[in-house]
Amino acid sequence: MPSRPSPIALNPASPSQSIFKKKSSTAMSTAASYLSAVSEADARARKHGGTPASTPALSMSSSVTSSSEDTVLHDDGHLDFTDGLSFPRKPPTSEQVFTTVHAEFGHCANEDYRYTSQHRKGVPYKSIPEQDPPYYILLTTYLSYLLVICLGHLRDFVGKRFRAVNYRHLLPWNGYAPLNSDFDSFYTRRLKLRIDDCFSHPVTGVPGRTILLLDRYSPDYNKTMIPTGTRTRALNISSYNYLGFAQGSGPCADAVERCIERYGVASGGTRLQGGTLDLHLQAEALVARFLGTEDALISSMGFATNSTIIPALVSKGCLVISDELNHASIRFGVRLSGANVRMFKHNDMNALEDLLREVISQGQPKTHRPWKKILLIVEGLYSMEGTLANLPVIMELKKKYKFYLFIDEAHSIGALGPRGRGVTDYFGIDRRQVDILMGTFTKSFGAAGGYIAGSKTIIDRLRLQGHSGVYTEAMTPPVLTQVIASMVSIMGITLPAEKPSSPSLALLRSSENTPVIPESEVIPGTAPASALPSWMPLSPSMIDGSDGRMRLRRLAFNARYLNRGLRKLGFITYGNDDSPVVPLLLFHPGKMAVFSRMMRTRATPIVVVVVAYPATPLVTSRVRFCLSAAHTKEDVDEVLRACDEIGDLLDLKQASGERWPVEEIIKRAVELVHMPEIP
Amino acid sequence: MNSSSQSLELFFDFLSRSYTTLETNFYKIPGSAVLARYVRSSHQNDPGRTLLEIILIIFAIRTLLQSRTRGDQSGKHFIQFDEKEIDELVDEWAPEPLAQPLTPEEQAELASVPVIVGPTGPKPKLSSGKTVTNLASYNFTGLAGNEDIKAAAVETLRKYGLGSCGPPGFYGTQDVHIQLEQDIADFLGTEAAILYSQAFSTISSVIPAFCKRGDIIVADRGVNFAIQKGLQISRSTVRWYDHNDMESLEHVLESVEKERRKRKGPLTRRFIVTEGIFDHDGAMSDLPKLVELKKKYKYRLILDESVSFGSVGRTGRGLTELYNVPASGSVANGLSSCGGFCAGSSIVVNHQRINGTSFVFSAAMPALLTVAASEGINILRNTPSILSTLQENVRAVRAILDRVDCIHIPSHPASAVIHLQIRWPTLQVPTHTTSSPSKLSKSNPLSVKPRDPPQFNVELEEKLLQDVVDEALAQGVMITRAKRLRGQELIEVRPSIRLAITAALSRKECEKAANVVKSAFVKVIGKRR
Ligand SMILES: Cc1ncc(COP(=O)(O)O)c(C=O)c1O
Repeated sequence: MPSRPSPIALNPASPSQSIFKKKSSTAMSTAASYLSAVSEADARARKHGGTPASTPALSMSSSVTSSSEDTVLHDDGHLDFTDGLSFPRKPPTSEQVFTTVHAEFGHCANEDYRYTSQHRKGVPYKSIPEQDPPYYILLTTYLSYLLVICLGHLRDFVGKRFRAVNYRHLLPWNGYAPLNSDFDSFYTRRLKLRIDDCFSHPVTGVPGRTILLLDRYSPDYNKTMIPTGTRTRALNISSYNYLGFAQGSGPCADAVERCIERYGVASGGTRLQGGTLDLHLQAEALVARFLGTEDALISSMGFATNSTIIPALVSKGCLVISDELNHASIRFGVRLSGANVRMFKHNDMNALEDLLREVISQGQPKTHRPWKKILLIVEGLYSMEGTLANLPVIMELKKKYKFYLFIDEAHSIGALGPRGRGVTDYFGIDRRQVDILMGTFTKSFGAAGGYIAGSKTIIDRLRLQGHSGVYTEAMTPPVLTQVIASMVSIMGITLPAEKPSSPSLALLRSSENTPVIPESEVIPGTAPASALPSWMPLSPSMIDGSDGRMRLRRLAFNARYLNRGLRKLGFITYGNDDSPVVPLLLFHPGKMAVFSRMMRTRATPIVVVVVAYPATPLVTSRVRFCLSAAHTKEDVDEVLRACDEIGDLLDLKQASGERWPVEEIIKRAVELVHMPEIP
Repeated sequence: MNSSSQSLELFFDFLSRSYTTLETNFYKIPGSAVLARYVRSSHQNDPGRTLLEIILIIFAIRTLLQSRTRGDQSGKHFIQFDEKEIDELVDEWAPEPLAQPLTPEEQAELASVPVIVGPTGPKPKLSSGKTVTNLASYNFTGLAGNEDIKAAAVETLRKYGLGSCGPPGFYGTQDVHIQLEQDIADFLGTEAAILYSQAFSTISSVIPAFCKRGDIIVADRGVNFAIQKGLQISRSTVRWYDHNDMESLEHVLESVEKERRKRKGPLTRRFIVTEGIFDHDGAMSDLPKLVELKKKYKYRLILDESVSFGSVGRTGRGLTELYNVPASGSVANGLSSCGGFCAGSSIVVNHQRINGTSFVFSAAMPALLTVAASEGINILRNTPSILSTLQENVRAVRAILDRVDCIHIPSHPASAVIHLQIRWPTLQVPTHTTSSPSKLSKSNPLSVKPRDPPQFNVELEEKLLQDVVDEALAQGVMITRAKRLRGQELIEVRPSIRLAITAALSRKECEKAANVVKSAFVKVIGKRR
């Protein structure tokens, strides 16, 4: 493998070493850097001393990279110095210590590029007004669907007569009905197949700030995809990696490695039948503490958390009121539960109230008996729309109509709120007022699986009655550790009483200019060190919570910047300004493919997710960006520039309102982000 | 006055002119003449009918425009209330609590769940401080804690991070997933395989991906909970045959065929759904017979190998190794990792990539677990001795427990999952019926309930079995009751203790553990007999 030396590796001294030197001459500038120096010396001493076996509890080792080589990636893909993906365009100054791999988690030291995700008190929640495109766009969109559908039917008609072999699996054959009738699969064969190169692209490596695409081509119009064997590094604004915890190095990965050495990868069966480890209990307690609820339970798959727990909450005689855009897993669970379901228009609180009045007054269908319970299920952040549940109004309605509230925070947990506690944190709503908080670890925490949090009574009931405790495999130890480590990074750690007496730890407070939060409001608080596995290596940035805070604030900035930047360019987007999910409307099915391909083949390749019917309404095909704390401002600039160019080409800038040229947006980014409202 | 009449004249003139242009234009549309003739003649024949048709059209448009979610309001059961009445009703309505607090028994149940401190394995340490022999956790092949797997997992962690951070369709498909799918397909000798990120959610998505409303599923009465949920979601027509009874299956297939011929319905998809080794009792399907019947009646077979994959066959390929049929199975149990798979022809697999709900709408498996599973397959391939050790251990345990008076074992002799039920003296309670039922009393295929359901006292047996579990634990052997969601399973399953034998223990250790179980049984049950 020809691995060219990185430009940084050519530097005579690595940044952290240089800092160490500088530190010995000048005064300690920050507690964190002091600590890193201390722990480094510590680590070196241990290496020489050769006493590796037992790490003391709460050792602060292995988090600070000792050489800058660790902060760039040595992959054998082509190394391009100009695209800014593997290496920062501007090399870091000697002051800046970066402990992350730039390709995984971008280097961004500018403290201006930070923001706090929080709902402004006293302002009613509203998402960006949805703008309709001009009529010609709608008309041509319908026409293009019509054209493709007609062509498809024509091809089927001809094909079935002249090339029957290709259709055999769609027709009855040898006494078997087709596994998949031609009508059911029409959409897949005749519409999706045309743009299949935009979906299911295989990748490798860490799905962090950048991602390595395994290049492929199709000789037969996407029927088969053949890997070419080459790889392309692309800017990744598609993965659900909101807080950037998808990392192959750093404190979380270190913790997971230690865990694998200790525990292996197996958990051995279901929770109630010999699959419960101490780690499960620790993780559950931590989740409860993170959210400030009494108790929590963990399940090994996010989808299954909904599909196996909802049936334990409601049953026949109960009513589920569900937002029309709720995730498939919720619908799956509700269908299994046997409860009645009513839907209301997405996020329309008037429709919800009308519906509530109707269902409570009418009672159960036919018998008119009162409902046993009514459960409202909403998502915190809608992953295709970028809208947030209108919690302030929902809480009002909840008081009046006495329904139970289930919030699926799959996308909002970690990604929203000044403390990353999700949509309740964002709106400043007491979490104990919400009956069930559900979320997944797949997104913000870079792990897998999901949780349910609530009162102890409910959670204990679900432990026994949910399908997951009895029938599904327990979460595996490495995943549990990633959950614990990433969550702790956001929370910070309270060390046991005797520990802070050491001077290094006393310095831990106030290392970053954090928003001042009154003590009473730190609801969930920090994690007590005693609640963590004793073997887990902790890094200083984890202990003081500075790492997590940095991530939250970077994500908040990026989200607001891209949302507003795109709108200033004249694109039609949906959702809320603070949402890290940014849908940009394309309308035409044909433009999806072109948009995706053009982004992928730029000088700095960018991978995007395009979605269309049936995941969205027919006309509103869209591209969806998922921002991450791992992105730097330059990355968002890059996306804006790309969108600007392609948007002009594809005639996508259809929104009304004031527009700025792209360079002005980039220059005035900080100002744009801090405006209370944009006109 | 004059001017107004003039303007009126102009207006009428305009009207008549526009009418003529409209008319000529209308007649230019092809087919319009036919329509006009039809309307005219029908109006001549029966003026009332025109009115009726117009009303009909208006009504149709109205129903179309009406929002579907509010459909109930126009229903005949809708009661009109005014706002004040609604407010009162809202005030009056008092919901039940979202969850009932646990009863003392349930609390005890939850408290009795053993917690392993540190890694799981054949000899784990419990939170009580005791080190026990583990016959509870699924670790058939003893891969838990394997050093090669650990090394591979750490290497993958450094390369891929932990989570995949996306569903397979949106950049969540990593090369390691493609590799494991290939490995599984090769291992089982199928064309292709697809990975799901949880075993339980695999089969419950696979079934509805293929079986739609109107399709016919013939299922075993003893299928596991995940399959039951899959059947429920699919909304297909389900017919049941007696648990693991091929005669009953044939009879049901015959009756379905007869019914179809009588109704002359269109050809629908037909499936047989069953398990390789049943989760409920460890019985093993007669796969050759199943395959023969499936071919004869032209059904497709969906076989759940969650338990049998990685525990039977020469190298752990499950029943398919013994009999060579595609199947879905569990990576979690068989390979000591997490997740499930479905293997079959590439048409079957690719169909699921778009229609398997929990595949499409869930993040892909973490890379390191995927690699751990690939490594597991590798080890199984290269070390056939693992499976022979496992089988030896199973035989050793069965040799001891088969001969105990108060234990009934419904499990197949080769099954690494062994269910132990209480055997009461024959007269007291009817014994479990695994022998062929008499030809005369056939169960009704429409109902999941068998003709002669075995009688047993769930609470009593559960309690006794828990005593056995506690007793065994006190003697240093961790076993578990087979936990079931009572009341949610389609048919009540007879309470049992579920042993999971592992290749990681020596034959001696297994025998010792089996003797502990035996004496616990004798101590608890024996004194009641
Ligand atoms: C709202 C919602 N719930 C649940 C899930 C499922 O989570 P997981 O991918 O962890 O299975 C998702 C994932 O896309 C989601 O968006």
